[in-house]
Amino acid sequence: MNHLSKEELIEQYYSKGTGGAGQHLEACAQCAEAYAELRSDLEAMKFSEPPARDAAYGERVWQSISGSLPAYERRKRNWLGIGMMRGLSYAAASALMVSAAFYAGRLWEHKQPRTAQVSTPPPAPAQEHTAPPTERIVVVILSDHLDRSERLLVQLKHADAGSEEMLSPLRDEARSLLAANHICQQNMKQEDDPALATALDRLDHLLAQLANRQGGLDAAALSQLQDEMKSDSLLFEVRVLRSRIPDRRPATNDRSEGGTI
Amino acid sequence: MFRMGTNDHEAIRAVLGGDREAYGILVKRHSQSLFRVAFRITRNESDAEDVVQEAFLRGYRKLEGFESRSNFGTWIYRIAVRCALDKISGRRWDDSSRVAEENDPEQEQVQVADEAAGPDRLLLSGEIGALQEAALHSLTDTERTAFVLRHMEDCTSEEIGAALGIPPNAAKQAVFRAVRKLRSRLAPLRMKR
Repeated sequence: MNHLSKEELIEQYYSKGTGGAGQHLEACAQCAEAYAELRSDLEAMKFSEPPARDAAYGERVWQSISGSLPAYERRKRNWLGIGMMRGLSYAAASALMVSAAFYAGRLWEHKQPRTAQVSTPPPAPAQEHTAPPTERIVVVILSDHLDRSERLLVQLKHADAGSEEMLSPLRDEARSLLAANHICQQNMKQEDDPALATALDRLDHLLAQLANRQGGLDAAALSQLQDEMKSDSLLFEVRVLRSRIPDRRPATNDRSEGGTI
Repeated sequence: MFRMGTNDHEAIRAVLGGDREAYGILVKRHSQSLFRVAFRITRNESDAEDVVQEAFLRGYRKLEGFESRSNFGTWIYRIAVRCALDKISGRRWDDSSRVAEENDPEQEQVQVADEAAGPDRLLLSGEIGALQEAALHSLTDTERTAFVLRHMEDCTSEEIGAALGIPPNAAKQAVFRAVRKLRSRLAPLRMKR
């Protein structure tokens, strides 16, 4: 038979006999004797009892400490104030960050179309999500192109075949407009605007003759071009188209941008 | 206005709501029990009173962390035990009349010397209680507190562990060690009984 350890005996004593060693103690005289000795020792330990406190003791304790206790309400209000200050700081910082991000976005956005106008060809038709910038580029070019074309046609209408000084810039301008006209024609293939497409085709024909005529522009050639222009009512048509297309160019540098195509 | 019949949780809600006076109800209600345990640990009336005040001050500062499902009496009791331990820990280092006798490597706490005279003289003068007090004083702080809470306050191992901030099994072992040491020191008295 395994006897109870000292720890088990102590546990049995403090558990007021409810421990699991009760049965063993009834059966084992040796452990019962050890337990009786332990109980005798522990029961003999009479330590001094705390001195009695009168009924007013609690009141005295309260009086001694109450003066040093801050009210929770006041502390909460302070914490609320600190919390509000902290919250406002976070809000201000967040607003600053949002403003900075917005301003950076605006700058970036402002820069993007400019780059596209100067260096990139119009986007592929499949990229529908880029439609707004594509449309904007076409409109800017088209309106600018029609402006320049109108001026050229006016100059051509009043041109004098004897003045080489006048005809040479007309040829140069026609060459420049011819390249721009090709781009506009390509873009017009995506648009359902037959009037504009027809006008651009006629303009293309006229510009090509003006720019690439063999042997330069003599009086006969100039007269022929002026007649074609009149018969086609090309100048009138360009003016009508120009008035139909809204001028959505930004206020700065648009003309020069349009001219660099 | 709160009366003494107000239960602890209502009083705590009132305190946290800004009614500082409601804490007075808790202080008056639990001062006696706190003084009793504080005295049993510190063995000094003045120190015990200091411990009671300190415990209620700490309790007030921590009141926001008190969980409503807990028992305030048990909660403040544990705080008082910790305060009492702090008190005797500080007092021991201030008390130059007592010297270290041996170290308890398990607890890493210095034991104070048994300042009692021989058992014969104590028996003759009828100062058995003084010898017992001295034996109790020879225990480490943890052992003594665990023993006091078990032997006098009738606390369970779980309650002792919670009060001392140690696992229940460690609290039980501290009680075992305390009983063994006390019996060993008080063995001469057993022979005379």
